[in-house]
Parts: sequence; C-alpha cells; structure tokens
Amino acid sequence: MNGVVEAAAVSKWYGEVLGLNAFTASFGKGITGLVGPNGAGKSTLFKLLIGQLHSDQGKITLLGEDPWNNVSLKRRLGYCPEQNQLYGWLTGQQFVETLLRLDGMPPAKARQEATAALKVVGLSGAAQRPTRGYSRGMRQRAKLAQALAHHPEILILDEPLSGADPAGRVHILRTISDFARDGGHVLMSTHVLYEIERITNNIVLIHNGKAIAAGDIHAIRALIDEHPHAVRIETSKPRQLAQALARMEHVVSFEFPATDTLLVRTRKPDAFYRELPQIVSDTKLEVQGLESPDDSLDAVFRYLVG
Amino acid sequence: MDWTESFRKAWVVTGLTFRYLLGTRRVIATALLAAVPIILTLSLAAARVERFNILLFQDLMIPLFLQVVLIFITLVNATALIREEIDDNTLPFLLTRPISKPALVAYKYVGYLIAVLVLVLPPVVVAYGVTEAYGGLGFMEDADVLWGFLAATILGTAAYGALFLFISVLVRRPLAVGLLIGFVWESVVDSIPGDVPKLSVIHYLKTILKDVVAIGPLGGYPSDLSAGAAAGILIAFSIAMVILSAFVFQQMEFRQKA
Repeated sequence: MNGVVEAAAVSKWYGEVLGLNAFTASFGKGITGLVGPNGAGKSTLFKLLIGQLHSDQGKITLLGEDPWNNVSLKRRLGYCPEQNQLYGWLTGQQFVETLLRLDGMPPAKARQEATAALKVVGLSGAAQRPTRGYSRGMRQRAKLAQALAHHPEILILDEPLSGADPAGRVHILRTISDFARDGGHVLMSTHVLYEIERITNNIVLIHNGKAIAAGDIHAIRALIDEHPHAVRIETSKPRQLAQALARMEHVVSFEFPATDTLLVRTRKPDAFYRELPQIVSDTKLEVQGLESPDDSLDAVFRYLVG
Repeated sequence: MDWTESFRKAWVVTGLTFRYLLGTRRVIATALLAAVPIILTLSLAAARVERFNILLFQDLMIPLFLQVVLIFITLVNATALIREEIDDNTLPFLLTRPISKPALVAYKYVGYLIAVLVLVLPPVVVAYGVTEAYGGLGFMEDADVLWGFLAATILGTAAYGALFLFISVLVRRPLAVGLLIGFVWESVVDSIPGDVPKLSVIHYLKTILKDVVAIGPLGGYPSDLSAGAAAGILIAFSIAMVILSAFVFQQMEFRQKA
C-alpha cells in the first residue's frame, strides 16, 4: 500500500443507507478523477479522506496516514467542498487570508499568499468584494483558492466545476493542471466524465458506493459516446443561444425547461465543451452557469453494472 | 507546542466568531433585546414614575433581564456557534485546517463570550446610570448593585453560553431544547423545595446578587452560599460544559447537507 489514497474494503453507513460499500481502490500520483452520478458515494469517500467521517469497516489512508482527527495531515491537504456556501460577510481576500492564518501563517504572509492564490484562480478583480455577491462560478474559484493557497501536497476537489461558467471552467481546469504539473496530487470528483478527460486519463468510476472501474479513460469513453450527453445552460437568452449552438453537427436536441435555461443534448460532449466558449464569445450571449444532469452517465453506469 | 501559532489560530477563530455573531442580521434582534433595560429605565424616567429608584431597578432587572433577555441572547448566540456552521456548510473550511476540534470549540466559545458581553454589558451600565441620574445620585452611589449585576451578567453569559453550546453539539434542534431549559426549567426551579434549585444557573446568579447587594429584593433569598462560592460553581460549570462540548464535538461526524 503506497498510493496517495489507499482504501481497503471501506464501508460507511448513514443509518440504513449505505454510503460506501466495501470500497477498495488505490489512487496514485497526479490527477485522479472520481466519476459517478449523484449519490454514488464520491462525497462520502472525500469526507472520509478529510477526516469528517470515519469508516464503519475497512481501512482508508491519505498520504499514508489515517485521516480521522489527524490535525497534522490537514497541513498537507487542500479541500474544496461541493457546497457553495462561504462566509458571506468576508471579502474573497479576507476569506482566503483568514483560512490561511488558521494554518498558523503570520498575517503578512497570509495576505501575500491569499493575493497570489486569488490571482491564480482569476479572482483578483473581485478580491475586495464580499463573497455573498459572488456568482456560483466565482464561489467555486474562491473555494479553489483557499484549497491551494497553503501549497498542499494533495487537492481534494468535490465537484469543482459544478455551476461554473465556461470561462471559469477553463480557468479552474488550468489551475488544477498547473498544480499537478508542479508535483501536486489531485483527487477530483465529477459526474461529468468529459470535464475530467481534459486534464487526466486516470479515472475511477464509482457507483452505489463501490469502485466499478478504474484506469484509462478511453475505453469507458467509447461506451459513453453511445449515449447523448445532456448539458443544462443558464442564460438570459436561451433561444438565441440555441440558434447559435444549432450549427454544431453533434447537437441532437434542445429543450427549454425554464425561461432562463437551455438543455442541450450532444453526441460529442468533448467537442461541445471545447467549442462552447468560442460560440458564447462570438455571439456575446451571457452564460451564467453550466451543468450536466446525471442522465447520460447513469445510462452508462446501468450498462456497466448490468 | 508552538504557542505563537496557537495564539494566532485562537485569535482568528475568536475574531471570525465575533464577526459571525455581530456581523450578521441576527445582531439587530439581539441588540434590540439587549437594549431593553435602557429602553425601560428611560421610559420610567420620561414618565416621571415616583417609585423609580435603585430598588425598582433591581425588581425589574432580575425577572426581565436575567431571566429573559440574558437567556434569550445567550441561547441564540451559543447555539449558533457550531450548529449554524453545520447547517450552513461552512464548517468544512475550519475542519480542514490544522486545528484540533476541541481547540476550535474553545476558541469559538471565547469569541461568543466577547461578542455577547459587548451586547449585554453596556445596557446594564447605562440603565443603572439612568436610574442613579433620575434619583439625582452620583454614579457610584449604589456601586454594590452595579457590581452585582455586572458579575451576574458576566457569569450568566458564561454559564448559559456553555450550557447551550453543549446542547447544540448534542442535539440537532438546540433552540427548542434550550428554550425549554432556559424558560421553563430556570423559571420554575425556584419554586421547587429542597436542593433542586441548586441544579439551575439562576440560583447561583441570585445568590451572587443576594450576597453582593446590600439592600435589594433578594435579601431573603434562600441560599447559604457566598457570592464567591456561587461564582466558583458557575465558572467550574462553564468550564465543564465547554470540555464536554469539545469531547462530543471531537467524536462528531459531519455529513454535509446537499
């Protein structure tokens, strides 16, 4: 057992509900994507790794140590939770700085590191604004900034792209890639395979609390390409955006579930995510958020688990 | 242990808690409630109530301030310390930093003490000052009353806060349990014979007032303790409650809400 994360037959129950079911996996260095639909057990695994939960059965280690109530281990990890709640009355700068000072950093150094981290995630312009006014994408970036500002060895990111706008996604993915390139380890969850594909080939598929597949992404992708992938886009002009997106040959259908929402189904999600920022930029249409519902991934998981 | 680093962390958590309690909308309601003694004494002065003196001040402050205002303010703020961060999903930011859970509880409690004392002490002093000024007396004329109420307010804030903090790490709906203890148990306990009143915070607060204030409505209060002993019991109780809270919190798991 010498991986960054080692889990051996780890089980976790929430009363009658099984969060993880004899989960066994070993995650190596670099970026590992943990892919699975909502409720698959990704967040439970992460909470075990950051010591917010302890396992009912089995053994789990992070960087070779037991995470439960392990204070010193927390210096070595950076965590980005799924929820978007921040301390709303703090500015972005104060938010990151405050958390850095909890690492024991002197105030001047914390200020310097917070400024640098906010710059890395592209939030310098909004650093002096209270976080209560941040969009979902900005909150994601603020959370990422606080996770990496103290230069941890490993980043644990729970759905870091959820709700981020196209430009924010590019920024977040670039930040994660740069962190890994500089020698850091990243464990990142998503329910959208195509997001993680852009930064790593190393993935673990999780379903019903179990690791059902691990390794290279390409074989799994081939399966997924057979199922149209749904993308929900928040925009003030959904019909105009649909017109602009219609020129993509791989787009199968459009739906308008709300006045400010466009649901697109595509057969080539990777191409869709690659081309979308350019189209949005060319048409000058505003996109407030981007999300992928579980449906398409669920179909693949149903296939994999028989 | 690096004391400088521990002090830095304590300062940050205490400051964060202070701003959390006094920087959110909750403070408007609690500050208004804390100002009740000032509003009341100013009203009595404005209405030129003949009986308005230091005795009436005590008659009103014990049931109104100690048994209602103080309990409500400590309940609202102490239960917010941990439980609200759990409900708001902000706790992971603190729990993924190199700071132990017991230390987090202790530092938050200190932040609570400072924030609540900032809210409740000035109104006591101002209301006392209005009373003395109305009677044409010097500010320190009835200093025993002032010291008695300040001591009762500080120790009440500490003891109720620690008790409600403990309840908040123990149950999911601490406000309901706290209301029962604060407004039912603490109100009726005095009328129960025997040693039962010793199982309440208010008994020791009244004991302090009885012992410190020379002339007042608690002159005949049935307590054989000195103010010092009562204060010692309240301090020991507060420390024990904070330690218990830290112990429970150390064992707690956090399953964030979606």
